[in-house]
Formats: sequence, structure tokens, C-alpha cells
Amino acid sequence: MSADRTRPPVHVPKETRAAWESPDPTPITLLEKIRSEGRVWEDLAEQYGVTNPDPPWKTSLVGTCEALAEAECLGTLDRRASEDELSENLYQDLPYPERELVSLAHTMIRRGLIDEEELARRMEAVAKRLNS
Amino acid sequence: MSDKHDKHEHAPMVDEVSFFEILEVSVRELAIEKGLFSAEDHRRFTEFAETISPAPAARLVARSWLDPEFKKRALADGFKASREVGVDWLKPTGFGTPSDFCDLRVLEDTPKIKHVVVCTLCSCYPRPILGQSPEWYRTPNYRRRLVRWPRQVLAEFGLQLPPDVEVRVEDSNQKCRFMVMPMRPAGTEGWTEDQLAAIVTRDCMIGVALPHPDRKANAKRPLHLAKNPVHH
Repeated sequence: MSADRTRPPVHVPKETRAAWESPDPTPITLLEKIRSEGRVWEDLAEQYGVTNPDPPWKTSLVGTCEALAEAECLGTLDRRASEDELSENLYQDLPYPERELVSLAHTMIRRGLIDEEELARRMEAVAKRLNS
Repeated sequence: MSDKHDKHEHAPMVDEVSFFEILEVSVRELAIEKGLFSAEDHRRFTEFAETISPAPAARLVARSWLDPEFKKRALADGFKASREVGVDWLKPTGFGTPSDFCDLRVLEDTPKIKHVVVCTLCSCYPRPILGQSPEWYRTPNYRRRLVRWPRQVLAEFGLQLPPDVEVRVEDSNQKCRFMVMPMRPAGTEGWTEDQLAAIVTRDCMIGVALPHPDRKANAKRPLHLAKNPVHH
């Protein structure tokens, strides 16, 4: 969609192109920690008296999903199928949209679009930045 | 000046950064750094997500109730009629979004036919005109059971239909998006378009509720997990 069509072509691992591919349901250590220790929006909203039903990052997550689909890195149908499976099994205890987010990260890691260790490092840096 | 500022009541805010917020930022930043998409791509899609709501669809229904000519246009070509309520399905890219196909069908309820919309495959939804889909619409439980037992599922939403009313379930697909045009309820005679639009809730346009003169919000819905694992 971007007007910038001069960007170099993105290397998308072959396996990310397959449709209807079940996600590897093996738990991912980093995401397990987030699942078990992360505070979900409905708890935060209640504690701070906020009535907005959705977390502020929800529309940004939509933007990420759409941009991934538009770039043909992770199609909508494929992402939703993966989210369905992970949501009913691994991330069953998370509410929406937290489980949509964690399922997306899980799918991206399993498909080699991002790496668990680099994601952990980035999260550390982002946490420092947002809490500074 | 400072007194006035001090007296101003600030809306409450969450003064805490959650793991989930950090995860969202981190995934996005890594994707951009790797060149999977650009920051500009992300900005446009996010802005789009922030602008959509059920309000234009409610306007389309209310106007149809008042203007027979507009109703004809809406039923004939939902995509074109959307423009008359301020929705351009081609935004934000010129081709829509990867998740929103540009063919809207408006399904008119009658005294003997009740429409209801689902996406059995994933969660396709007429987002440009109806906003983000509710959580229950995305669940495999709703998606699987509605096509099998529509009358029973509608009853769970509080919508009990007489046996002589035919229920038509419309399954969203790769080419079409659907929204329901419910019948105008009794007790709204003489109402303006604004008044009518206020009672056309999101759930009425998915088809799981009927408009009522006293109801302006969607009911909170319980969520049910699917009994069987997902296999596509």
C-alpha cells in the first residue's frame, strides 16, 4: 500500500507462504512468561477506573496484522486460523485481544519472521524506554 | 489560569505499562526494522482502524427506513450506497485493506425472513461500515454453531423467532461482506434519521438482535469455548 515501492524486496521464508498451516503448539518460553505474568487490560482498566473496553495498543495491533497481510508475510486467513488453534489451546486463559497479540507473536516466531531471543531483547529495551 | 487548570477533572488513565503493551510495540518495531512492512504502512492501517465504527451502517439503515429511493440503492449496491453515508471501501490503500473486500451486500429482513451474518472460515466482517467485529463473532463456537443451529443460537442472544419466520444465515466469503437491514420497529413513527440511527445497534446489523425504540446499546454477550478442537 505504501507509495514507497523502492524498498528492497523482503525475504519471506518459504514456509510463511503456505496457507492452512497449523502452528507449532509447543509453548514459547518468552510468551509463556507474558501469558502467566502479564496484566490484561480488563484488570488494569478496573484498577485505574478506565472505561475504555479496549487497550490503547489494540488499533496498532490491527495495523500490524493488516500490514503483514498486505506485504504477503502473513495472510489474514492464515493468521486467523493459527490464532483460532492457539486461542483454544495454549492461550485459552487469556482474554481478547491479548490472546490475538500473543498468538500473532507465537505465529511470527514459529514461522521465522522474528526470533524469540531478539524479541526478548527488544522487549527489555522497550520496557526501559516506556518506563523511563 | 492555574486555578482553572487545577480544577479541571482529568479522565482516569492506566498508569502502568503492561507486558502486552511492550510485546505489541516490540513485535511492530522488529517487523519494521526487518523490512516486513514500513512505518508508513502501519500508520495508515492503524489510522484506518481508529476511524471505523458501526455509525455509518446505522445511518444507512435509518436512511433506508425513511427514504425508499435510498433503500433501493442500498439493496442494489451496498458499496456505492456506502459512499452516501461517508464510507469509501477503497480506503486506505485505493484497494481497501487486505481484510476487507469491496463488495457489500445489504440483506433486507422481512416479516417472514430474518438474516444473520457469520464467517465460518475466520472472522470476515464489513469493517469499513460496521467497525471492528465483536469478540463473540470471532469465536469458533459462534461460527460453527450458527450455521448448524441458527434458531437456537439466536435464542441464546435473546432473539426468539416464531416458527414461521425463515432464518437465513449468510456466510461471509472471499468476495462478499454482508450487513443486515432489520425492519423498522413499531413505536418509531415520526422519528428523525438521527433518532432512528441511534437504535440501530451493531448487533442488529449482524442480525443477532432486533432494533427496539428503547435500546441504544449492544447487550453484553457471554463467550463459549468450542467443544471440539479447530481443524480447517
